[in-house]
Amino acid sequence: MTLLSLDNVSKTYGSGHTEVKALKNMDFSVEPGEFVAVIGPSGSGKSTFLSIAGGLLTPSTGTVKINNQSFAGLKKKELAKLRFKELGFILQSSNLVPFLTVKDQLILVDKVQKKNLSKKKKEDLLESLDIIKLKDKYPKDLSGGERQRVAIARALYNEPSVILADEPTASLDTNRAYEVVKILAKETKDNQTATIMVTHDTRLLDHCDKVYEMNDGVLKQIR
Amino acid sequence: MFLAWKEIKYSKLRFSLIIGVVALVAWLVFLLSGLAFGLASVNRLAIDQFDANAIALTDESDLSLTQSKLLIKDAKTVTGDKTAYLGQSSGVVTSDNLDGKVSVSILGMEHDSFIMPKVVEGKAFTDEGEVLADISMQKKGTEIGDELNISSSDKKLKVVGFVENGKYGTLPVLYMSIPDWQELKFGQSDPTDNGLVSAVIIRDTDALNQTPAKAVKISNMADFIEKIPGYSAQNLTFSIMIGFLFIITAFVIGIFIYVLTMQKTATFGVLKAQGMTTGFLSKMVISQTFILAALGVLIGLGLTFVTAALLPDAAPFMLNDLNLVIYGVVLVAVAVIGALFSVASIAKIDPLKAIGGE
Ligand SMILES: Nc1ncnc2c1ncn2[C@@H]1O[C@H](COP(=O)(O)OP(=O)(O)OP(=O)(O)O)[C@@H](O)[C@H]1O
Ligand SMILES: [Mg+2]
Repeated sequence: MTLLSLDNVSKTYGSGHTEVKALKNMDFSVEPGEFVAVIGPSGSGKSTFLSIAGGLLTPSTGTVKINNQSFAGLKKKELAKLRFKELGFILQSSNLVPFLTVKDQLILVDKVQKKNLSKKKKEDLLESLDIIKLKDKYPKDLSGGERQRVAIARALYNEPSVILADEPTASLDTNRAYEVVKILAKETKDNQTATIMVTHDTRLLDHCDKVYEMNDGVLKQIR
Repeated sequence: MFLAWKEIKYSKLRFSLIIGVVALVAWLVFLLSGLAFGLASVNRLAIDQFDANAIALTDESDLSLTQSKLLIKDAKTVTGDKTAYLGQSSGVVTSDNLDGKVSVSILGMEHDSFIMPKVVEGKAFTDEGEVLADISMQKKGTEIGDELNISSSDKKLKVVGFVENGKYGTLPVLYMSIPDWQELKFGQSDPTDNGLVSAVIIRDTDALNQTPAKAVKISNMADFIEKIPGYSAQNLTFSIMIGFLFIITAFVIGIFIYVLTMQKTATFGVLKAQGMTTGFLSKMVISQTFILAALGVLIGLGLTFVTAALLPDAAPFMLNDLNLVIYGVVLVAVAVIGALFSVASIAKIDPLKAIGGE
């Protein structure tokens, strides 16, 4: 079963002599429980790839499917709904709402989907990420590593099919970066989601099932 | 509501300032409306007491009570369920107990007519030379039994009682008999058909539907009140001030909310990437504005009641519940309209910025 697939996807920015081919005829897919890393030099197209996979950017050609549902032809609002249901985002920083406590970050999700996950489920999730004791704190009072763990909790909370992580460890020191990636790997397995992580840090690749390298808009599996 | 409240609780100081601004504007609006209503009332209270539908004046007076001199012969041609003669003039009063001079409005009427005011102290006048005075004259030192001197007349009038709400053209009213009034206004009284009154007050819902003598013109009470000297100009002045305050409120709140929205661009971008719609985020901003404006208006209302209690009696300040409710609701509404400008900027926030960008 494929959770996310990109089929012959290209992305061209601009036109004429300002034209940039950021992605070139790319095929890609991930299965449940897979933790995939994407590395590559700056400007190679990694963020473009994640944006297209996350339905934030429309590809110039090709199709993107999540859980067999194509993004093509969806209205803005339907696309937002699909993102909310199927995707979890973990970003470099500022991923959390600054004026919500850790617990409220999750309650916000309840408010949007208008159904409440049980309190137990919330606490189990926070427990498994070892942040239950932080539940009444605001993001500004957390360390970088704690913040990313909360971001992971937030991303996992609505039980998405796919988690997209854009340099989730960029603001962390090596030890904390390891810790966060390890947790991400574990949660990917436990929840049978598919996780795609863009990173610069090649030392983090040990925990990943597959590693891709992006070069000038071309994606190649290197492990 | 959830996000809206949480942010207010998180940034207490920032939002308190906004609530404070709304409260101050609301306070000003309520005070102005109180003054407007108070001033309007002291112009017309004595007329309102008549509880009448129409007034007959001379055609040439152009609805001016002071200018109208109606022959009793003509006044007799006016009909209705109830009719009453009214004489009006103004004067300056002195007496032993009054410190200084007091300007008054003088109304003459027959003591058994339906427009006689309700006496709250003493008794109604029955004989010539007796007058009823507005209760505010009592606060200035007048007592029952006092003899009043009227300027440019050597007539003396004895106060026999007091009435409430006896105000016309912002002045306290002296109520007296028609002959007394005629004497003050024309120098002599004349009870015959050739004598004069100022107007005939009519209580009859169908009052306009008649053909009195040619010199007489019958008008609705409301039209007449609009023509009280200064009345509509005063009301217009206050309406314009209050109207501009509403517009200013919309702008001030609009700008505040816009700045706050701009500061949340990154957060909103992330929330949008996570699948929250422009509608959801707009609802948050609008409900937040609603909370802020409603709290501000309530505080402004509280300040208004405190002020009203502290204001000196002489200030023509009168709160009207209906006005307070309407102005309060309008203030909240214009604040929300101001916040609507931010919705466009929320719609423009690109969730794409959340990925790969700062
Ligand atoms: N909105 C845009 N308009 C025009 N060109 C763009 C736009 N966004 C990205 N590009 C170009 O597309 C190419 C790929 O950009 P992308 O952001 O995907 O790279 P990246 O691999 O994420 O780089 P980094 O590691 O620095 O984040 C770059 O050459 C970039 O200049
Ligand atoms: Mg990037």
